[in-house]
Amino acid sequence: MTDVIRQTAEQAYAAELEALQAGDTGARPAGWRLTPKAVVTYLLGGKASDGTVISPKYTGSRRLVETAVATLATDRALLLMGVPGTAKSWVSEHLAAAISGDSTLLIQCTAGTDETQIRYGWNYAQLLAHGPSEAALVETPLMRAMRRGALCRMEEFSRLGSDVQDTLITVLSEKIMPIPELSTALAAVRGFNVIATANNRDKGVNELSSALKRRFNVVVLPLPGSMEEEVSIVARRVNEMAAGLDLPLPRSVEDQIRAVLTVFRELRSGSTEDGKVTLKAPSSTLSTAEAIGTVIGGLSQATWFAGGRLGADELAASMVGAIVKDPVQDKLVLEEYLETVLKKRRHSAAYYAALSDAL
Amino acid sequence: MNVHYFPIRHHGPGSAASLVRALDQLKPALVLIEGPADASDLLPALADPGMVPPVALLCYPPGRPAAARFWPFAEFSPEYQAALWAAQHKAEARFIDLPSAVRPPDDEGPDEVNPDEGTEAGGTEAEGGEGDLVGGIGQGGPEAGGPNRPGGTDQGEKTLADDPIGQLAAAAGHDDPESWWCDLVEQNPEPGPVFGAVSEAMTELRTGQEIEPWEAKREAQMRRQIAQAGRDATGPIAVVCGAWHVPGLQASVTASADRQLLAGLARTKTTATWAPWSHARLAFISGYGAGVAAPGWNLHLWRTWGQTNSSTVWLTRIARLLRDRGHEVSTASLIEAERLASSLAALRGRPRAGFEELRDAAVACLFNGEDLLWRTIQDELLLGPEIGQVPEGSAAAPLIEDVQMAQRAARLKPEALERELAVDLRTDSGRRRSQLLHRLGVLGIAWGELTSQGGSRGTFRENWLLCWRPEFSVTLVERVVYGSDLIGAAGAYLAEQMHQTESLSDLAALVGLAVAAELPQGWATGLRLLEEKAALTSDASLLLGAVAPLAETVRYGQARQVDSEPLRQLAERILVEAALGLRHAARGLDDSAAQELVRRLRSAGRGLELLQGSPPAGPDDEAQTDAAAGPDRLEVSQSEAGADGEAQTDEAAGPDRLEVSQSEAGPDDTQSVWLRALRQLLGDDQAAALAAGCAGHLLYAAGQLAPDDAVALIERHLSPGTPVAWAARFMEGFFTGGAARLIYDQALRQAVDQWVRQLANDDFLTNLPLLRRVFSDLDTTERKRLIDAVFRQSGARDLPGLVAAPPGAWDEHLRVLLPLLLGRGDD
Repeated sequence: MTDVIRQTAEQAYAAELEALQAGDTGARPAGWRLTPKAVVTYLLGGKASDGTVISPKYTGSRRLVETAVATLATDRALLLMGVPGTAKSWVSEHLAAAISGDSTLLIQCTAGTDETQIRYGWNYAQLLAHGPSEAALVETPLMRAMRRGALCRMEEFSRLGSDVQDTLITVLSEKIMPIPELSTALAAVRGFNVIATANNRDKGVNELSSALKRRFNVVVLPLPGSMEEEVSIVARRVNEMAAGLDLPLPRSVEDQIRAVLTVFRELRSGSTEDGKVTLKAPSSTLSTAEAIGTVIGGLSQATWFAGGRLGADELAASMVGAIVKDPVQDKLVLEEYLETVLKKRRHSAAYYAALSDAL
Repeated sequence: MNVHYFPIRHHGPGSAASLVRALDQLKPALVLIEGPADASDLLPALADPGMVPPVALLCYPPGRPAAARFWPFAEFSPEYQAALWAAQHKAEARFIDLPSAVRPPDDEGPDEVNPDEGTEAGGTEAEGGEGDLVGGIGQGGPEAGGPNRPGGTDQGEKTLADDPIGQLAAAAGHDDPESWWCDLVEQNPEPGPVFGAVSEAMTELRTGQEIEPWEAKREAQMRRQIAQAGRDATGPIAVVCGAWHVPGLQASVTASADRQLLAGLARTKTTATWAPWSHARLAFISGYGAGVAAPGWNLHLWRTWGQTNSSTVWLTRIARLLRDRGHEVSTASLIEAERLASSLAALRGRPRAGFEELRDAAVACLFNGEDLLWRTIQDELLLGPEIGQVPEGSAAAPLIEDVQMAQRAARLKPEALERELAVDLRTDSGRRRSQLLHRLGVLGIAWGELTSQGGSRGTFRENWLLCWRPEFSVTLVERVVYGSDLIGAAGAYLAEQMHQTESLSDLAALVGLAVAAELPQGWATGLRLLEEKAALTSDASLLLGAVAPLAETVRYGQARQVDSEPLRQLAERILVEAALGLRHAARGLDDSAAQELVRRLRSAGRGLELLQGSPPAGPDDEAQTDAAAGPDRLEVSQSEAGADGEAQTDEAAGPDRLEVSQSEAGPDDTQSVWLRALRQLLGDDQAAALAAGCAGHLLYAAGQLAPDDAVALIERHLSPGTPVAWAARFMEGFFTGGAARLIYDQALRQAVDQWVRQLANDDFLTNLPLLRRVFSDLDTTERKRLIDAVFRQSGARDLPGLVAAPPGAWDEHLRVLLPLLLGRGDD
């Protein structure tokens, strides 16, 4: 068990789930392992009835988690949206673990995913030898979830082609999967539902059709609210990644993270941190994940080319890369930000100069 | 004594519904309501068919409407329902609180608004539904913000008296006191003997609590009034008051102790009247201390009270609003939203879906999770556009009184006949008059019409045409919704208009109006909106258009003794933004778009000069205004230009070098960015020729282009290698409004001359209208001088050049050009 690289949520938090389940006597929706209230406690942290401490898995708004859990308690499917780094997949995994006790019924959606990976496929040797039969059917995670009355997770849902997305309509509205080849249909067992995740600012993805959209309740997970929260998330990830890449961390890294995040957060939110100046927002998402990438990029540059000194000069190139996605509009947005905001801040002089150079 | 107490929550629909039911049972002969005792006479008017809530009881010391205090009543206010019940059942109703003349110790009217008051009262009411019904006008309108904005959500350091309901809710294990009270009273369809329970709870809470002196006085007054009522009434008495006061009113205190407490209170008279109110001003974000979070939601609760489909109605309203805005909302989604709301309510352990559940469900099911969409409808949904009405003729409108006082102070009589008035803003009386007229103008009362600003440079003079029309008084009554005094009403009204304005330059004009009328509230709102709008506008041309009006407002503000520094900074920022986007804005334009851009470029250039406080001093402007002063003055300014332009000796050497030298030369940030943008525009081959020419003109006018460089520039752009159409437009851009320069600058003249001379016949005819346009600014004298310069006067020096041209072409050109230059038309 310790040999696996990564344990599933239900394995890693088995003790917490058990403790919650033991003391959880209230009424629960059919097929659920915990009551909705206990699921919320599992995600946000608290105490089980026997005193076991439940660690918080998600630190964002309680309202959103409650809406998500309540959605799954109805028979509507849940769509978690958010930019990269807002813990969409993490939340979906833990929801599945807490509600169904199984977070492995997972379909990773890509542009190449086709219908047979969503509905069912065929074992062609069986099919040719014995003709269409239950035995020749290859079940997908979705089908297994329907059969077992469990949650099926679909990651990066909007990357699926529109026609493939729409195969879900029947499943979500009728709760059955027709198998015309066998003149039968698989009816979902109570407890079955779908959690999809999608990036809402990704370009070049397939918008959900309105028919499908109506079958989902959407919860948008926001970016970290406060500067401190985001700095600590980035610093933690940068530490982990730097260790993995054997990059030494200079002392000033936290200051630089703060400086990068200030720029990212201000451009992303369209106003300065003090709320006094409104700004244009670039077309780039500037998510927490991108901030991590930017700092790691700068760190690598600092280590190999700048004698380990991490500063504005090392970070500027990757920052510009992250901010300017549209060569005309975004460049203008950044120029404007430099001239109207950064230039006036004395302590940002280094960044003003480095970013102006890099443009 | 048969007295029954009804502890209510101000503006609570649940309290109102329970109260009406309880009154029906009790059938009191006398209904006592928490409100100013001296205004009891006005209570029956609430039942008048012409009275449509929301309305407010306004009380102010005679002659000081600005110091008005208000007691608003909405349809769902228990106090309103109690008064209505009394009138319909022929029972007597009385207010029993302290008379309106007695002010709380921290409220001296708007002259000394205590910044804490709004916050404190707001917090109280927001959390617990306790506190005073009354609000102070000085607490500001919907836009006030700032210190008066109640700190709604923080529950950190509340004392018991501040937030009794919050304490009860916490004791019952609820995080959110609002929702606890809603579940228990406001939204509970079967509340049972809730009034008794609330009284008991309040008594428990108040045990051992100190009561503030002001509250003690109010309760003493109410006790005395109740005792008096006991002596007067023949039947049961109902006392309707804020829950917190009930134990105090029931306490047995001797009459003499109460008398002692109340000794020495002011006994002046006040003017009291009903005024139309709005739901927006019932919300505590409007600065009204006892406001509610969402009047629209309260109204909905009241109107659907006892119905089982209440949440469906609410969700349908949301869907309607969304559909009105062009979003697709299916009925199926509404059903899902309702199901999600009830499942959320179950998860949160509430008896039925409340405001929060319905909002969260609507966001998840109808709005695709986008909070932003919610924000677009929340004002209409939660505040609502409802405005009350008062019966005709019943209102002694405080606003009218305030205007009359201002008219007396300004010594201006409202007269129906037209009359002219010149105002000098440097004198106090002049300023007062201008203020009054502008403020009335803001409210849509066009008493005075501004005929001229007294010339472009005279910011100290205004000429008005006055004419008072009787319907202005009606308008004034309607505008009381915005405030009871002129400055408050005009400020709030202007702020509302600003919110509805889409265009940047219109908004800039409204800000100018706020300065002219000296309305700090409109000024602050306008500045904030302008900042937002400017930041989100990416069209450089639109941005440029806003610079000049702003710059003028800055100058105007100096005459008005307004602190115009923030506006100046904003105008500079807009100019910087426009400068950065100029490159893209000047590309791919057709003729009319280029003309428009050039117009704005020039106005922005003038704006920048205004901002820097230097009078417009470009060589061509001088030449234009003072052509007679002529060469002498011009030489001076040109030599200055030369000195300034020294840093950039080689215009033609390319943009790179120029930028470097500029960044060293420019001490002023805004100007340096602006000049750099102009220089880039000048050097940009893809830019519209007209705009590039205009950039050259502006640089030359700003002294950033040495005369030699200017000649080199013109020569280069008008050289045979340049397409004629391009060259012609460049020339138009450069010389429009500056053709007089050709009279004095021999080198420039020569360059243009050479270009015109080498034009082929067809090209010349094609571009003739354009040339005409360039020279159309010159008056007859100037044209004559230009021709003199070209032919006669300078003949000795220049004639050889003329002669050297191919004789045939020259004759041909001369034949066409001469009548043109002499202004005889070209046909």
